[in-house]
Amino acid sequence: MDPTTTQLEDARPTVLVIDDSADVHRLLKARLKQEEVELVSVTDPREGLSIAASQTPALVLLDLDMPGMDGFEVLRQLKDTPGTHHIPVIVVSGMTSMQDKVTAFELGAVDFVCKPFEFTELRVRLRSALRVHRLLQMLSTRAQLDGLTGLWNRAYFDQRLSEEVSRCARSGRPMAVAIADCDHFKSINDTFGHPAGDAVLQGLAKILRRECRNSDSVCRYGGEEFVILMPDTKPADAAAVCERIREAIEAAVWPRHPERKVTASFGVAGTSQATPNNPTAFVDAADKNLYVSKKAGRNRVTMTELSPSLTGTAAAA
Amino acid sequence: MTHSTPPPPTPSPLLSEFSNDPEMAELIESFTSELPERVQAILAAVGEGRVSDLKRLSHQLKGAAGGYGFPTLGEAAGRVEDGLRATADPTTALKAIAEDVRALVDLCTRASAGKS
Repeated sequence: MDPTTTQLEDARPTVLVIDDSADVHRLLKARLKQEEVELVSVTDPREGLSIAASQTPALVLLDLDMPGMDGFEVLRQLKDTPGTHHIPVIVVSGMTSMQDKVTAFELGAVDFVCKPFEFTELRVRLRSALRVHRLLQMLSTRAQLDGLTGLWNRAYFDQRLSEEVSRCARSGRPMAVAIADCDHFKSINDTFGHPAGDAVLQGLAKILRRECRNSDSVCRYGGEEFVILMPDTKPADAAAVCERIREAIEAAVWPRHPERKVTASFGVAGTSQATPNNPTAFVDAADKNLYVSKKAGRNRVTMTELSPSLTGTAAAA
Repeated sequence: MTHSTPPPPTPSPLLSEFSNDPEMAELIESFTSELPERVQAILAAVGEGRVSDLKRLSHQLKGAAGGYGFPTLGEAAGRVEDGLRATADPTTALKAIAEDVRALVDLCTRASAGKS
């Protein structure tokens, strides 16, 4: 998963309109034609909830007074569901008492527009809500990125790893984790200076990103250490990917020190079958294998296939 | 001896505030063409004492009419809705809003897309 692709919002964000009045949908469609948004119209609140969960729109326009389920209940459920709680909701309602407005905001609405609405006003409020939402998303993505290399950071990796390990425990699908560490990085820093060291880290990040697949998450784990999360990948295949990366690093020429090659050592751990839900077991085993690679002379890949009981023996790939 | 009866007064048409907006023309047309149906539904609800249906119909009209450029119609619908909400007893409520319903129906009959 390349951070740069997930950072940018869609050019045409989806706006979900939940309102029992067909007139409102017709009017909004005409009045928001010029806006760069994709309107999805729903008259049934329950259907609205399920579409919100499956399509995760950038914004919801929500009516309050609907037969079957009132808008406050819809809002409550949107905000209580992990997949939809971050979606901004503008309440659009003919119920305009102060108490209704307060309740709407307390339940998590970002704005409240009274019906019958002025469309010019609705348009600018819609734009404003979309802009804030986009900035918040950008901010939360940035907080998960490593500043020097542009790769995902450790916090992102930890979160993705636990998601992936629990998915793997449920489904029995394979997965693998690889840790890569730059060999003799301190000596590169000491000999050529820190800017050269930083350039090496950036260069390694570029090679890792190029050689990995889109489904892999490449992260900077700290210092000169990188970690790759490989979903749906058997340990042997993960080791083959790492071997390819190792060769690419060894072959690279470094502008600041063409005479000095850079190499990296790898530790890989993974499973081809259902394993207990234990994220640390993968990292620990990969880390142990990295140590084995270093001990055996660096610039190599060591892989372990974890058994269902989470024990494994290292084998040089 | 002949005496001529004066023709019945033609009610002045009520035009949409957006009647000059080409983007709205089609929508206003379909809204006004559906108004007779809404009037029928409102009158039927009044006649049969279905207060909650009347509440819903007037509420929808209140929300929609302004959007099509008929704010006075929306306000009239709002008065019907408010009147129904103000009184718990359905018979008293229906009696209290009779005049508001007449005003609303009058506006609905006069609402016009501007072209015939």
